[in-house]
Amino acid sequence: MNKTDNDTWQKLLALSAPTFAGETTPPYGFVTSTLAGLRAQQSQVEACERIGWRALLASLAALAVAATLTVTLDTRDSASDFEPGVRSLVQMQNISVS
Amino acid sequence: MDESIDVDDCLRRWKEGSQAAAEELIQHLFPVISKIVRTHLPRRDDEKDLVQEILMKTFAKLHQFKGDAPITHWVSRLALTTCLDRLRAQKIRPEIRQADLTPEESDVFDAAWLTGSSPDAGAAIAARDLVDKILSSLSPEDRSLILMVDLEGRSLQEIADTMGWSISKVKMRLFRVRPHLRQMIKRLENENEQN
Repeated sequence: MNKTDNDTWQKLLALSAPTFAGETTPPYGFVTSTLAGLRAQQSQVEACERIGWRALLASLAALAVAATLTVTLDTRDSASDFEPGVRSLVQMQNISVS
Repeated sequence: MDESIDVDDCLRRWKEGSQAAAEELIQHLFPVISKIVRTHLPRRDDEKDLVQEILMKTFAKLHQFKGDAPITHWVSRLALTTCLDRLRAQKIRPEIRQADLTPEESDVFDAAWLTGSSPDAGAAIAARDLVDKILSSLSPEDRSLILMVDLEGRSLQEIADTMGWSISKVKMRLFRVRPHLRQMIKRLENENEQN
C-alpha cells in the first residue's frame, strides 16, 4: 500500500482498536450454561456409545445365528446323495430312489 | 487470564469427571477465545454463543490434545478455524462504496483520511463497522490475515503456525490481498473527494 492508503487504513484500525479487545472474564451465567451444555454433550456421547455397542452386539448375534444355521443346513445337506437342485427335482417328480 | 492454573492437573481432573476442573479450564480459556472471536468476526455477530460453541468443541476434542504446545495455542487454532467456518457460511462479499456508508461511518472515514483524530466518543464503533465493511469483501482467510498483520502485528511465522500454512503461502496471500484492500480504500477516498 502506498503511504496515503496505508495511513487511512492504519488510522481506521487505530480508531477501532478498542472494539477488538476481548473480554477477560466470562459474562454472568456463562460458565454455568457452558457446564450444563458440556454435561448434555457428554450424556449424548455416552448414549450414542451405548446405542453403538448394542447395535454391534446385535449384529454379532445375528451373524452368529446365521453362521450356525448355514453350518447346520450344510451338514444336513451333505448327508444326502443329491445336490440341493437335484433333490428338489426328485421331490417334485416323486421319483423313487432306491 | 489466570496464569496460575495448572493445565495438566486440570485436564487430569476433568478426565476423572471433575466439574471444578472444567470450570477452571473455561475461566482460563475464555479470554483467549473471546479475543479471537471479537477480532476475526464482524462486530454484530453473536460472540457469546460462538465462544460457547468453541468451548464445547474444545472439550469434545480435548483427548486429541497432546500437550506439546501450550493449550492456549491449540485452542486458538480451533477458535480461528471455527470463526473462518462461520464467515464462510455467511458468504457475503459486497464491494463497498461511499454511498453504502452510514453518516457515522462517513464521518469516521473523513476523520481517518484527513486527520486521524476521533470526531466523537462513538467513533470507535463506527470505525469498527467501517473496518468490518471493508474487510467483508475479502475472503475469510484474507480477512483474518490482514487483521493478524495490521492489527495484531503478528510475525509471518506466528501466522503460518496459526493458519497451518507455510511462510511462503502467508507472503503470497498478503501480496495478493494488499492491492485489493488498497483499491477499496482508494475508491472510498476518490468518492469522498467528489462529494
